[in-house]
Amino acid sequence: MTHERQSWLIGPISAAAGGTLYQQIVDRLKREVSEGRLKPGAALPSFRHLAEELLVSVITVKRAYEELEREGIIFRRQGLGTFVAEQGHDRSCEAKVAAAKDLLREGFREAAEAGLKPAEMFDLAREILKEKKAL
Amino acid sequence: MNNAIEIRGLVKAYPGFQLGPLDLTVPRGAIYGLIGPNGAGKTTAIDMIFGMGSNDAGQIRVLGLDHRSDEVLLKRRAAYVSPDLSFQVWGKVGKTIRFVRGFYPGWDDAYCGALMKAFHLSDSDRVATLSFGARTKLSLLLALARRPEVLILDEPTTGLDAVSRQQVFSELLKAVEDGERTVLISSHGLSDIERFADHVGMIRSGKLLLEGRTDEVVDRYRLAEFFTADGATLQSPEPEGLIILKWNENRWHALLDRNSGALNWLETNGAQQISLTRVTLEELFVALAKEEEGEGA
Repeated sequence: MTHERQSWLIGPISAAAGGTLYQQIVDRLKREVSEGRLKPGAALPSFRHLAEELLVSVITVKRAYEELEREGIIFRRQGLGTFVAEQGHDRSCEAKVAAAKDLLREGFREAAEAGLKPAEMFDLAREILKEKKAL
Repeated sequence: MNNAIEIRGLVKAYPGFQLGPLDLTVPRGAIYGLIGPNGAGKTTAIDMIFGMGSNDAGQIRVLGLDHRSDEVLLKRRAAYVSPDLSFQVWGKVGKTIRFVRGFYPGWDDAYCGALMKAFHLSDSDRVATLSFGARTKLSLLLALARRPEVLILDEPTTGLDAVSRQQVFSELLKAVEDGERTVLISSHGLSDIERFADHVGMIRSGKLLLEGRTDEVVDRYRLAEFFTADGATLQSPEPEGLIILKWNENRWHALLDRNSGALNWLETNGAQQISLTRVTLEELFVALAKEEEGEGA
C-alpha cells in the first residue's frame, strides 16, 4: 500500500468478543495506557486513521475517543490531535480496579450460589493467585 | 454544508409500487448504509440521485447541487457503481483504465496503482475472464480513482467472498479518511453495514423507516422476553414501538423501541419478568421486516 502506516497495535476488535466494538476499543486503549505502553503525552492516531486500521466505522472510534476523553484518559487539542493525558495512567488503573471489583463480586456471587463459605472463597482466591499463568 | 446528500419529499410512482415520499440525509464524511428488504425501493432511490429515471415530486441535492439543473457538475463530483456496469468491450484491464481516466481531470494515477495492488488486479488481465468479484473490484476502482467527493454504490458486495468484502470496506474507509468524501452504499450484508457504516437508513415499502447513527439506531431497540400470568393474553392492540415476534403459552418475545412508551406499557399491562437483550442490526432488520409482513401479533 502507498498509504503510510503507523506501527500501531491494539488488541483485535471482534464482533465475537464480549461487548460492543466501541467498548472493546475503550478497553484495549485503557490497557495500553495502564500497562505503560502508551505514555502520557503520546499521540493517538486520528479516529479516521484508527478506524481504517481496525476496520470499523469512524463513528465507532469517535465514540470510543469521546468516552476516554470523558474519563480523563486522553485529551484533544484542536488542530493538533489526540494525546494520552498526564493522569491517563492513574485513571486507567482506577477504571481497571473498578472493573476487577465487579468481576470479583460476580465470582463471589457464583461461589456463594455454589454454597461456598467466605473462608473457602479466600482459599479459592489464594489458589488462583498461585496459578501464575492465569495472571 | 454538512450534508453530502439531501433527499426531500422524493416520490416516484410505478404501477403497483410507490417510492416515497422519501427524506434521506447523508452527512458529509460518512459511510452511509442504505438497507431494506428486496423491492423496498433502494435501487429506485439511488438511480434517481444519479439522474436515471425522473421523479414525480421532491428534491435531491448532492453537495448542494440540484440533481436535475446541475446534473453535469454533479456527475463530475459524484460517482456511481451499479452491479450492472460492464467493461468487457475494452478487452484488458489496462485498456479499460486508460479509456475511463480520459474523462476525469481529477483522476489519480498513484491511487489507481495502489487500488490495483489492493484488489489484485493487473493491466494485462482480460476483463471477460475476470472472476465476478474481480469485476466488481474493477468497477469500484474506476469510480474510486476519480477521487469523487460522493461515491454511490448499489450492492457492491453482493456475491463477494469475505476476503474481498473486507478489501472493499478497507478501501472505502481509506476513501473517507480525509473527512470530506462521502460514501452511500446499499447492501444486504447487514453485519458489514453495522461494522463499517457510520449512518444507516432503512427503507421499507418505499418509505424511510429509520435513519441515524448506526450505533444509536441499534442501541435504541431491545429484544424483550416477558411472561404473562397463566391463561392471560396481552391486551391488544400493542402500542407503537412494540412488535411481538413470537409467543408460546405465557412466554413472549418482542422487539421493543426504547424511545417509545412500550416498556412502560408492558409493565402496566401484566407483563412480568421482563428481560431486555441488545440486538444486532440484522436482528432489528428481520423484526422490522416481519412487522410489515404481518407475521407479528
